[in-house]
Amino acid sequence: MSIYDSDGTSPYELAPDPSPNFLSRSLLSSDHKTIGLQYLWLALLCVFLGMGMSLLMRLHLAWPNSGLGFLGVFSNTPDRYAALTLLHGSLMVFFVLTAAPQAGFGNYFLPLQIGAAETAFPNLNLAAFWMTAVSLAGMTGAFFLAPAGGIKLWLVSVAMFCLAALLVAVNFSVTVIDLRANGMTLPRLPVTVWAWFINAILSILIFSILLAACALLLSDGLLATHFFRASPPGLPTVTWQRLFWFFAQAEVYVALLPCFGIVTHLLATFARRPVWKERAVVLALCGVGVFGFCIWGQHMFATGMAPESPMFFGLLASSLGLPSSILLLSWLGTLWNSRIRLNTAMLFVLGFISLFLSGSFSGLFLSRRDLPVVSAGDEFVTGHFHLVMGVAATFAVLAALFYWFPKMFGRRLNEGLGKAHFWLTFVGVYCVFMPMHWLGLIARAVPPVNGAASSYASGQVSELRSFVTIAILLTVAAQALFLVNFIGSLWRGERVTEGNPWRATTLEWMIASAQNGSPSTQHSQPLVHRGAYEFDASGSNDDFIPQFIAPKPLASQRLAKPER
Amino acid sequence: MPGTAIDQDIELIIEDVGGGGGGKPPVLGGGGGDDSSGKRRRPLQPSPRRYYTGVTLAILSILMFFMALASAFIVRRGSNDWIPVHIPAILWVNTLILLASSLTLELSRRRLASSDLRGFRALWFLTTGLGILFVAGQVFAWRQLLLQGIFVASNPASSFFYIFTGLHGVHLLGGLGALLYVLLRNFDRAKVSRPVAAEIVGHYWHFMDALWVFLLALLYLGK
Repeated sequence: MSIYDSDGTSPYELAPDPSPNFLSRSLLSSDHKTIGLQYLWLALLCVFLGMGMSLLMRLHLAWPNSGLGFLGVFSNTPDRYAALTLLHGSLMVFFVLTAAPQAGFGNYFLPLQIGAAETAFPNLNLAAFWMTAVSLAGMTGAFFLAPAGGIKLWLVSVAMFCLAALLVAVNFSVTVIDLRANGMTLPRLPVTVWAWFINAILSILIFSILLAACALLLSDGLLATHFFRASPPGLPTVTWQRLFWFFAQAEVYVALLPCFGIVTHLLATFARRPVWKERAVVLALCGVGVFGFCIWGQHMFATGMAPESPMFFGLLASSLGLPSSILLLSWLGTLWNSRIRLNTAMLFVLGFISLFLSGSFSGLFLSRRDLPVVSAGDEFVTGHFHLVMGVAATFAVLAALFYWFPKMFGRRLNEGLGKAHFWLTFVGVYCVFMPMHWLGLIARAVPPVNGAASSYASGQVSELRSFVTIAILLTVAAQALFLVNFIGSLWRGERVTEGNPWRATTLEWMIASAQNGSPSTQHSQPLVHRGAYEFDASGSNDDFIPQFIAPKPLASQRLAKPER
Repeated sequence: MPGTAIDQDIELIIEDVGGGGGGKPPVLGGGGGDDSSGKRRRPLQPSPRRYYTGVTLAILSILMFFMALASAFIVRRGSNDWIPVHIPAILWVNTLILLASSLTLELSRRRLASSDLRGFRALWFLTTGLGILFVAGQVFAWRQLLLQGIFVASNPASSFFYIFTGLHGVHLLGGLGALLYVLLRNFDRAKVSRPVAAEIVGHYWHFMDALWVFLLALLYLGK
């Protein structure tokens, strides 16, 4: 239980309430920090499961005829492969990319950063977490069922996830709108909070759409309605793809928006400089949301357009173009001439920028309308969106984890292991996903003649496939470093003695390290006096001014800093 | 007139509450006489403003949900297998009932503002009754269609008819639950005062009303 000190001298701590038992302390606690952590645990579980599945898929693609002994219980059919792909995608997109940066870190740090004691609706928050957990169980269960029943269970689970995401989004938006501390005006919000907020608004809009799409598809399956099926079978209908792609397109932004916020925030903190053109960054974040939504709106009511057309990808890429180049410029501007603290969190941030850049370049190819129709099964597309959405977002999540680990657990992650993990993963993902682009181009350039590709191309393809598979094996193996680091640091990590180890400006570092799981009670609200990024880049030990420090009277300020 | 004075006072309080003040109070208790002293005190309880914002955002979300359905309707309507459904006449009566319920809800809130708790209860009860009548009317419309042999799986248009009315009905049932909650809840211990709760529920109920008019227009004009 922590108390903000309104004078801004030093925070102090109260003894935590004795909590009745484990169940009400952790699993049934509606404390935002506990719930945030639970989302992160869920994401951690899912990211390792999903990674294992991608490994299985690549093994199968490289050596289709080899069987794995321990998987003998599953029949070796195309159905199973499709189900595996679906499960990999659902786990990664829903429970890692959507849940971890938004519901995980957002739950934990959004109230702290705006100086609120809790989120607006703690009980809804708890309900949302459990709906998410049930939906994870449902999606996993769907994998083990026969396709007909499995897909229904999967749809119910997705609908459940949508409801949970909507609850989280409403909760976050209301928290930001109504529960900011005194003095925390909108321009003073940290960029992370802006990103979570805009993302919550966007989530409210698009998860409603996915929910509607699921409801329609589910009633097609259960009530034999005719939303996506023609009533004499055989007539083509495109409605499902339409609804789904409107969601899926915006989903990319939903995964990336909080990552943009985290990256901007960490860059400023570790470069010890204010975010360059902070207003423009916030506008660009709004722009990402608005573009994502408007293009969707244009699609939704325009009839007769196939969503897989190059036009679709063209709009997607060009809409991302303007705001993301503003973000890139700001990141580079913040880095310009700064003395970077090159710790692991910063490395992952730089890795994010690199991956985002290369992903955007391959996006340029996809946005060309004169290219032959790009199908979603193409390995070029797979490589592109894994690089820009999956891996880049994961890097941002890892950066956030290294940054906030001292706040969450009172210890630091090991820097040496962290850096080794970063470099292996960074090189690894490039070796995995760049050749995939190449594979896609080969498939495009050498169309199969009479069902069989030319021997030269097929030889090259199988070599590349083996290379990708070996690279993914090594990359997955490198994650053991992370696991060792993470689990080791939880128990044996270097204890953080000071309250603000990164010398950051935002409010979450101003309260004493929170006891996990203790229900937060009324603590006095902090008073916010300044913007979120007051660094002066002098390199001295007090080169930053936290948000809650009151401005000194003018005279004493002149005395203290004559150069201003 | 004393009545009007109190009326204005409570109007002020409601505005005050909406703007972030207020809370749980001697101010907004049933009586409404002893209010002038506590009105400008800073709230100890969390402000009820979050409930307004929350319901507003929930309404936005529900709106998007039905817009997606409407989009599917508009796109699907262009296909060849579309056989229009004739809308049962009772739906027009239902619509009038629902509009009337919005009216009684507002009248009832006005009674509450003039601290006429009995009149508020009676009109609020009437609103709830009209809401239940609407749901019954919708079920009757379904029955009529079923008797004509038009089922949910008959053709795309009938599927849309049932799904629109059904999903709107589900959301309306939530509104009915909220109406009953305001009717039956003892507000002495609640986090929000009765006027605040009544106003928030009123927002949702009017939204359900407008949504139904939109869906009916879509079904009627788009058949």
